[in-house]
Amino acid sequence: MPLADFDWSFIWANHSLLLDALVRTLKIAAIAIAGSFAIGLVLGAARAYRIPLASQFAAVYVEVIRNTPFLVQIFFIYFGLPQVGIRLPGFTVAWLSLVVWGGAFNIENFRAGFEAVPYRYREAGLALGFSRISTFFHVSLPIGGRIALPPSINTYISVLKNTAIVGPAAAYPELTHTASGLIESTGRTFEVFFAIGAIYLVIVWTLSGLIRLLESRLALPEEAR
Amino acid sequence: MRRIAVATIGVALVAAALAAWSVAAPTGSTGSAAATHALKKKKKLPSLPTQIKRRGRWIIGVKCDTPPFGYIDLKGHNAGYDVEIARWFSRFAFGRANRVSFTCVTTASRIPALTTGKIDLILATMTFTHARKQVVDFSTPYYVATGRMLVPKSSSLRLRGIGGKTITTTGGSIYDRWLNKCFKDAHPLLFQSPSLALQALKDGRADAEMFDDSFLLGAATSDPSVKLTPDKFLKLPWGIGILKGNVQLRNWVNARLRILKNRNQFLKILKNNVNPTLFDAFKNNVPAPKRTLKYPATEEAELACQ
Repeated sequence: MPLADFDWSFIWANHSLLLDALVRTLKIAAIAIAGSFAIGLVLGAARAYRIPLASQFAAVYVEVIRNTPFLVQIFFIYFGLPQVGIRLPGFTVAWLSLVVWGGAFNIENFRAGFEAVPYRYREAGLALGFSRISTFFHVSLPIGGRIALPPSINTYISVLKNTAIVGPAAAYPELTHTASGLIESTGRTFEVFFAIGAIYLVIVWTLSGLIRLLESRLALPEEAR
Repeated sequence: MRRIAVATIGVALVAAALAAWSVAAPTGSTGSAAATHALKKKKKLPSLPTQIKRRGRWIIGVKCDTPPFGYIDLKGHNAGYDVEIARWFSRFAFGRANRVSFTCVTTASRIPALTTGKIDLILATMTFTHARKQVVDFSTPYYVATGRMLVPKSSSLRLRGIGGKTITTTGGSIYDRWLNKCFKDAHPLLFQSPSLALQALKDGRADAEMFDDSFLLGAATSDPSVKLTPDKFLKLPWGIGILKGNVQLRNWVNARLRILKNRNQFLKILKNNVNPTLFDAFKNNVPAPKRTLKYPATEEAELACQ
């Protein structure tokens, strides 16, 4: 019976292996969340304000990424690009595929955020003599960015969880890829799944907690709860 | 707010524990019937466990990406050495070769598929290791592979020179553990299947691929851009994986394997599946009337450094 011979000491004996892998997970997730934020912000604004060329590019980019499986995207970058001479190292493929994926979804979050800023606010800014760019930075971004933050939480959490797909696919030794190898060489399925399940639960919950904290710090006075 | 948070954590942990418990609990029979005694005058063959007999077909986990042992042929059917042994079990149990459903498994998923009751047997190029023996039961060996190294055609790399080089293989495999133990200064690059590792080698992401001769010989023959080094290492007997404690099923499988061995059927199965030019390289890897394969006695023997 699995619970009867659950070996807690096994988890402890391998804890440094799993913690090293966890650090790698957090590294690529951090780069990817920052990258998706940047892409979402810039191209989301391009979409919302119909900036020529950038807007069309963003539209196509979002459609391609949303309509294909993430795993296929990773294989394309990892195994497909070398066929045309672009061979990126595993670590680069790991964070790059996550940035490309997360950025696409974040574009929609920021587009909705910017489009939700009432037009009269921008009108007021322009009437006061702000340039269009100044209006963006002083009016649209503070308001639209705050509106975009709650839906972005889902995107960033998904980016963090998707590190578990990138690891095995691009042979990058993050937590899930390392755990998978540990299970296969020792057969201790239950102990390893339990350990990484608990670790993912803690880090994802911490991430969403941090973002919610940021959200409450940024809340405009009239939105105070 | 804090109470909600604590409650959420509590519910989530309970749910995760329950899910993990149900995933790990075996649903198959745990072998109540013992093997028939040898004391009977006419030695009866061990009988098939009732769960499988009642179902009327086998559910067997095989590889779908590892020619010539488990792969999908051009018509879309499962084929290979392992698959043909599975069909022999179907004939032995039910009289027909098609009373078997195949489930594709990978190196990493085959043991969980067995322990969660999704498959009856693992017939998926599984090398015997003492660590795995703690979790699944093994039949007697049905094939023995040797470890080989595949390099680009222009490379002069040999086994003794892999320090500091990138070596690709499958995650959690015996090569992965052997590299960790005997070549600590080599850099492993681990994939889910040897085919992906081969592609990585050809893309220049690794200096060599380490894997069973069975897979690499086929790759070297069909691909002029890679070649095998003369190095041979590790003796890797493969066994059929059976749910731990299912003595009845293990006795059934071992008895049928003995029948196939005595009829020299393994050699015929090999011939059906292997490229004729490679047949000579493989023909001593299978059980035969005068050749009994054995497992290494201890864990140290398993991973002996060269």
